[in-house]
Amino acid sequence: MILSPGSLLRVGLLLLVAVVLQLSFLSQLGILGGHIDVVVLVVAAVSYYGGSIAGCATGFAAGFLLDLLSGATMGVSSLVLTAVGYGVGRFREVRDPSHGLLPLAVGAAATGGFMVAFAAVSFMLDVGATVSPLVIRDAIVTTLLNVLLALPVFTGTRKLLRPVLKVDPFDVRRRRQPPRETGPLGLRGLEV
Amino acid sequence: MYDRKVVRRRRAALAVFLALSIAILTAYFGESGGGFFHALQRGAQEAFAPIETGASRALKPVRDLFGWAGDTVDAKKQNKDLKREVERLQSALAKAQTAERDATQLKGLVGLTRADGFPQGTRPIAARVIARSPTVWYSSIHIDKGESDGIRVNQPVIAAGSDPDHGETGGLVGKVTSVTGGTAEVTLITDASIGVGAQVMPSGATGVVRPAVGNPRDLLMEFVEGGRVTENTTVATSGFKISKGESLFPRGIPIGKVSKADLEEVDIYQRVHIQPYADLKSIDIVQVLTRRPPNSQTAGVVLP
Repeated sequence: MILSPGSLLRVGLLLLVAVVLQLSFLSQLGILGGHIDVVVLVVAAVSYYGGSIAGCATGFAAGFLLDLLSGATMGVSSLVLTAVGYGVGRFREVRDPSHGLLPLAVGAAATGGFMVAFAAVSFMLDVGATVSPLVIRDAIVTTLLNVLLALPVFTGTRKLLRPVLKVDPFDVRRRRQPPRETGPLGLRGLEV
Repeated sequence: MYDRKVVRRRRAALAVFLALSIAILTAYFGESGGGFFHALQRGAQEAFAPIETGASRALKPVRDLFGWAGDTVDAKKQNKDLKREVERLQSALAKAQTAERDATQLKGLVGLTRADGFPQGTRPIAARVIARSPTVWYSSIHIDKGESDGIRVNQPVIAAGSDPDHGETGGLVGKVTSVTGGTAEVTLITDASIGVGAQVMPSGATGVVRPAVGNPRDLLMEFVEGGRVTENTTVATSGFKISKGESLFPRGIPIGKVSKADLEEVDIYQRVHIQPYADLKSIDIVQVLTRRPPNSQTAGVVLP
């Protein structure tokens, strides 16, 4: 991702909308015991298209904003989302991210990782209360819901960030044409 | 091929943001409620409150829609649970209503045996109805007390009325016609084979009470003589001997009240209609009068 005022503005606005939407709408929307966590998906999407540095910065900012507005212990969400953002960014850097359905797997892994890491940090901070096994069910439901929402969130984020991206994975895919099977013999089997 | 500069920058960025997060976390835990981060949090929440309120209100219809869908799913489970609960409560209600009904009948029986004019010294034994004749032609019930409890053939049986609190305390229902060790059969006064010597109070007119088969709420007092009979007057056992044999029913057991006394019918057929006090259609508890009262008159009432 190209570091510029434009990219900061785009990502900042995206995070703000995601956090406000999360707190004022999605968190109140209980579906089968879980709820959609769009902030994690947005962090994962920005990291997926922007890379590891942009990912960890976005994760930190999203977590900071989330803790700030939700009144939760400050630093916990930023710590976990920084790690999530970095992980997704590194995945994008070392693997071919051009497959159209990859956001589903990335969304699931990011959400699952976030839930597990958040639970681990919360335990380390001593929650001071009995934890019901139902949190596992809720985590699974949230992950599944996020998988359902992953494609639209990733597509929207990509469209928003496209002007500030150094490399658009879908452009890379478009550039990879299938080998020619017709035409002059000398060109067949070549990616022309 | 790795660019060392890029790798260093990437690791540095991760380290910086993680360190920042841990620093914030540590500071947040370390400071008091009025510290910098707490104040920052309060300020941010205050500043964003209008935005969150607006967003929450704007998205309420969508939230309600999702809530409705979720409620529908929950409603199915609740419906199943509530059905189970209703079944349980219905069972409990049935038990409570049965107990209430038993209590009402017992109260009626107690009121009946203590009423003025009821023969004293009869040593009543309460029994529960365990079986009932299914046809209108043979009107009998089976009770759960028998010979071992002191029940004998031809002892009179009484039962409570349908509404003891409003005067319908009950009255005669029949007589014991067969008895075993632990059970007894009671032939009701609605059975075609039975007749009871009766007297209208206070006029003193006498007659024989017989059933109108098929209608347990209507008895007929036949061979009426000896006085004028008016409606709503009480009819009780007379204890008179009107045929061969011994009277089965001591004097003074209420039977019912005159429900219809048509002058023409009285003149031509010597007959009036009686509505029994006892609720003959739904008897659950009865009392068998196991002892003849001292100085009771004897009168035969068995019909040929």
